[in-house]
Amino acid sequence: MRKVFITALILVLAIASCSFADGVKIGAGIYRFNDAFMLRFRNAMSAESEKAGAEIDIADGRDDQPTQDAQIDEFIAGGVNVLIVNLVDRMAAQGTIDKAKSADIPVVFINREPPLEVLNTYVKAYYVGAKAEESGIFSGQLIVDYFKSHPEADKNHDGKLQFVLLKGQNGHQDMILRSKYSVETIRDAGIEPVELASAIANWDKLEAMKIMNAFIMSIGPENIEAVIANNDEMALGAVEALKAQDYNKGDPSMYIPVVGVDANASALEAMDKGEMLGTVLNDADGQGSAAVKLAVSLAQGKDVSGEVTDGKYIWVPYQKVTRGEKQ
Amino acid sequence: MAETKSRSKRLMTTGGIIFLVLGIILYFAKEPMGLNRKIYDLPIFLIIIGLCSAIKGYMAKDKTEEEAALAGKTFTEFLTNNAILLAMLVLVVVICILQPRFMQIRVALDILTQSSTKLIMALGICFALLIAGTDLSAGRMVGLAAVISASMMQTATYANRFFPDLPQVAVWIPIVAAVLACMVCGALNGFLVAKYEMHPFIATLATQVMIYGACSLYFDMPPNNSQPIGGIRPDFAQIGQLRLFNGLWKGFPGISILIPISIVICIAIWFILNKTVFGKNVYAIGGNREAAVVAGINVFRNIMFIFILASFLYGIAGVLEAARTAGATNNYGNGYETDAIAACVVGGVSMSGGIGKVGGIVMGVLIFTVIQYGLQFINVSPMWQQVIKGVIIAVAVAIDLTKYRRK
Repeated sequence: MRKVFITALILVLAIASCSFADGVKIGAGIYRFNDAFMLRFRNAMSAESEKAGAEIDIADGRDDQPTQDAQIDEFIAGGVNVLIVNLVDRMAAQGTIDKAKSADIPVVFINREPPLEVLNTYVKAYYVGAKAEESGIFSGQLIVDYFKSHPEADKNHDGKLQFVLLKGQNGHQDMILRSKYSVETIRDAGIEPVELASAIANWDKLEAMKIMNAFIMSIGPENIEAVIANNDEMALGAVEALKAQDYNKGDPSMYIPVVGVDANASALEAMDKGEMLGTVLNDADGQGSAAVKLAVSLAQGKDVSGEVTDGKYIWVPYQKVTRGEKQ
Repeated sequence: MAETKSRSKRLMTTGGIIFLVLGIILYFAKEPMGLNRKIYDLPIFLIIIGLCSAIKGYMAKDKTEEEAALAGKTFTEFLTNNAILLAMLVLVVVICILQPRFMQIRVALDILTQSSTKLIMALGICFALLIAGTDLSAGRMVGLAAVISASMMQTATYANRFFPDLPQVAVWIPIVAAVLACMVCGALNGFLVAKYEMHPFIATLATQVMIYGACSLYFDMPPNNSQPIGGIRPDFAQIGQLRLFNGLWKGFPGISILIPISIVICIAIWFILNKTVFGKNVYAIGGNREAAVVAGINVFRNIMFIFILASFLYGIAGVLEAARTAGATNNYGNGYETDAIAACVVGGVSMSGGIGKVGGIVMGVLIFTVIQYGLQFINVSPMWQQVIKGVIIAVAVAIDLTKYRRK
């Protein structure tokens, strides 16, 4: 009797562990939890995993690469089948790839794009994201559209566009490409862009507010014709600094167009109030679910060559958002 | 000797009058001479400085011969003791030449506004410094108060509300909740230090980590999930954004409400430190703890009160930060304690306890803010700003210690 019981128990355990191994287990590392954009990304990943019947474990890298490295090691030791990684430092991709390679599990990078030569060192390394240059082009277009439809926006009537630029974290590919392409788009549209000042505000509202305040004081708000921010939080910081000088509060003679990227809730609200000109939607939901779908296919050993471009990438497009066009 | 004693007085009075006259001449000359875009509000500043200097020189008491002799002998000492102040004055002149826009009333008011929350922080932390301790949890308490107050103060229509079903509560409720939460943390600080005689460095380090963790947990609660809190109600934002006398005359930006708030707090703290038994006890405990115990001072109760009072001030600062920026994240206030400690040290509060005045702290905060603001104004890279900040702190402490040794 006892023998039968033990055999049955072992059998049950074996079946249970077997069905576990059948399911896909995803280990996901996010660079920092308290980032509005990555939050939407996380929610989309959780929802998609649930739909696909996969198990997902998401870790907070606390904006510190060594912390994230330790979390990746833990994931691998815990037996995940696939990794989704939002690097803290995109130049640290090689370390993550080496870890995945030695455990022979696929890795999908999200949001922060590793250099191509690093991605190429491992066949099972992929990247899901949006083309940062596209967001730059769109925010440039928002400014160009406004400038062309509002002749009074050229405050000193010199035909040039005097702007200030609030940049994200130093070295981040989005910061580099958004800054570059937004300005180039303005130039391509036939308006000469003049950079009055630019500074790194680390994607942060408080920092951007402080810096914008210094720009307003040192340059003079009457001389600034546009504010281009690499993301919405910084754009909102700029808006707060402008509002403190009675700008962007409804008086059309005291208005400076501000553009951001991400289309988060606070930015949409600011746009509804007319405090902010526009933003570019970085499709977190689309990217999050695409990343999980790819990860699940990879973990199940399916052929993904039909889904990816250049054997490595899935690109999710950006969308322009202006006042009254809440998505 | 009789000559030296009145020389400084005469110098101040005549210097002040020269400034005053120069200011008045420039004030009327700047329009016709087309200097408006070159000197901005410089004449008004000259008039104010001149007036202050002249009045101070006129009112100053004659120094006794002894003091005057000492003053003459220690001119180099005067230079070293005020090195930071002098460095600031040089920096201000350099900035004014590089970027004349710095000479605006608007800029001066802005510097005062930015000093306000820093001053409240510094006044809180000075109590811990006065008992030869420190308070590392100050910055995180600012974050805690900011997150708690902002989380309850969102507009009804905002898409991502922290508490989706929370009605539009009265403004004072979240403020009291935020400040109370900080005071509980302050009580914990005080308990650890007073009961176990833990060094405040360790006690507040422990609470700092706990507070940040707890604040992050609160901030990560669904449906917010660590999203920056936005959609702040305008009536709450007014607490930090309201400007008094806005548009009193053309181009006058108004005086930020933060300035009177910090002045009131400053006066209250001055009163507590100088006119109450508790204030005397703080200095006594800081000067010599054993002697204070022997003298019958209830050290436990006083230390508890010190940390609770300090955390009350951090709570206020946190609420004001949330209102001023119309938002909050759990990262608010990060590193504020180092700025506050540095400002106190620059303002002459001794790290070895027992020495420090409210007036000095106000000066320290102003000097520190002017330097930081000025560097940002001429767009100095943030990395260089960090280096310069570090140098200032090191020099200030070095001066503090040499002064101490001399005595």
